[in-house]
Amino acid sequence: MTELKNHIVKAFDRELEGIQAQIMKMGGLVEASIMQAATSLETRDVELAEKVRAGDKLVDALEESLNEEAAQVIALRAPTATDLRIVLSVMRMSANLERIGDLSKNIAKRTSVLVQMPAVGDTATSLRRMAREVELMLKDALDAYIQRDEALALDVIQRDHDVDQMHNTQFRELLTYMLEDPQNITACMHLHFIAKNIERMGDHVTSIAEQVVFMATGSKPDEDRPKGDQTATDLGPLLQEHED
Amino acid sequence: MLDVHSHRQEIQKMTDVDLIDLKMSARNVQVHYGDTHAIKDVDIDIEAKCVTAFIGPSGCGKSTFLRCLNRMNDTIDICRVTGDILLDDENIYDKRVDPVQLRAKVGMVFQKPNPFPKSIYDNIAYGPRIHGLARNKAELDDIVEKSLRRGAIWNEVKDRLHAPGTGLSGGQQQRLCIARAIATQPEVLLMDEPCSALDPIATAQVEELIDELRQEYSVVIVTHSMQQAARVSQKTAFFHLGNLVEFGETSKIFTNPEDPRTESYITGRIG
Repeated sequence: MTELKNHIVKAFDRELEGIQAQIMKMGGLVEASIMQAATSLETRDVELAEKVRAGDKLVDALEESLNEEAAQVIALRAPTATDLRIVLSVMRMSANLERIGDLSKNIAKRTSVLVQMPAVGDTATSLRRMAREVELMLKDALDAYIQRDEALALDVIQRDHDVDQMHNTQFRELLTYMLEDPQNITACMHLHFIAKNIERMGDHVTSIAEQVVFMATGSKPDEDRPKGDQTATDLGPLLQEHED
Repeated sequence: MLDVHSHRQEIQKMTDVDLIDLKMSARNVQVHYGDTHAIKDVDIDIEAKCVTAFIGPSGCGKSTFLRCLNRMNDTIDICRVTGDILLDDENIYDKRVDPVQLRAKVGMVFQKPNPFPKSIYDNIAYGPRIHGLARNKAELDDIVEKSLRRGAIWNEVKDRLHAPGTGLSGGQQQRLCIARAIATQPEVLLMDEPCSALDPIATAQVEELIDELRQEYSVVIVTHSMQQAARVSQKTAFFHLGNLVEFGETSKIFTNPEDPRTESYITGRIG
């Protein structure tokens, strides 16, 4: 994309830069919250989990102020073309980031419960790896935003498939633990919801990457990305044994 | 292979004239003012029952081009127009075409309201009279009322039809001029910045009127207000330095224009 010149009205540039700086700040905070939530789970660090829960307030506040400023730009500047796409994409992205923040917070809450029970295998480590994958996707999506890099955004969208597959594996593993020993069920249910949260984060990151494509090109990417989440139709090992 | 095939189909669809009801079309239009090349090789199709907006910076040629569409440029001695402009299937620059008759079919409304220094009634009745559109007083009364109603000003003037048109407010005068332009039953209405001398309320009334006129006429409007172009038109043409840079659906032009010059202009950047 060719670099556009500045607006004749400089205040318009400052406002657009302002909302974009805020979305980047929000992105940075959410990126950190994903990793902190996953680390607190793996290292059973209650303090860090508490920090994640408290930190979400700032993300929520940023989303609110961003939406207000975006609404002002729409009302006062009547943005068109690229300017309009910047405002629209920032508004949608902020909603996605806010949701990811909530999911991190939920992981942190469950971590505070999980530390009171024995660990279930090395599930926490696998989940941390899965979270790491999502965090990298988010980082790339935000980089793609700054650089207006359609190719990188499309790459992020493709990578959501890997996260879905990690989630499928995790789902199977947790089912097995629960079958082995019903004592594991409470912990496993929490871990399952954590896995589901991370999988959902991947979907939100995908949606952010789609906004980057929209902003850079004016159209949404084709809807042919692979959908990898199979847990909705998974019968589980027990039922499959009976089928054999 | 498949791509080429679908591409062909696409082009065929786009060029299938049956799909679009064309009112006017211009081909290879050049305008010179003395040595100045004001319009450079413009091709454009004006659809029937559609509002087409011409936008662009001052001096880009949009008003000049608009004035080609009813031969208003004929009145300027140093102005030379070449190329073809068709109204339906007739070349309006053909020697057999009478410019006065043409202007009855392709009416015009100007930037500054310019009612005749006559009564409101006579402002409207003037055109139908000289074109012989009414056989008697009753028919003329009927044309005057219908035109004022279509001009969305009937209710405001019906009790003072014989008061001078110049005594109306600016917004009313402009609607009177629009009513005057449609009194001769034109097929196309050209508007050269019809709202630039009006306040926001009068502007909204004229914009509402333009939208209603679209049911029956083709409207071509030149405007400096991009928001107005966005609000009233279905098609937008962007002119720059005498060139038609981009022409397409208004919604497309304002959300995702193809040409960087269009983008720079509509987003308010230096371009």
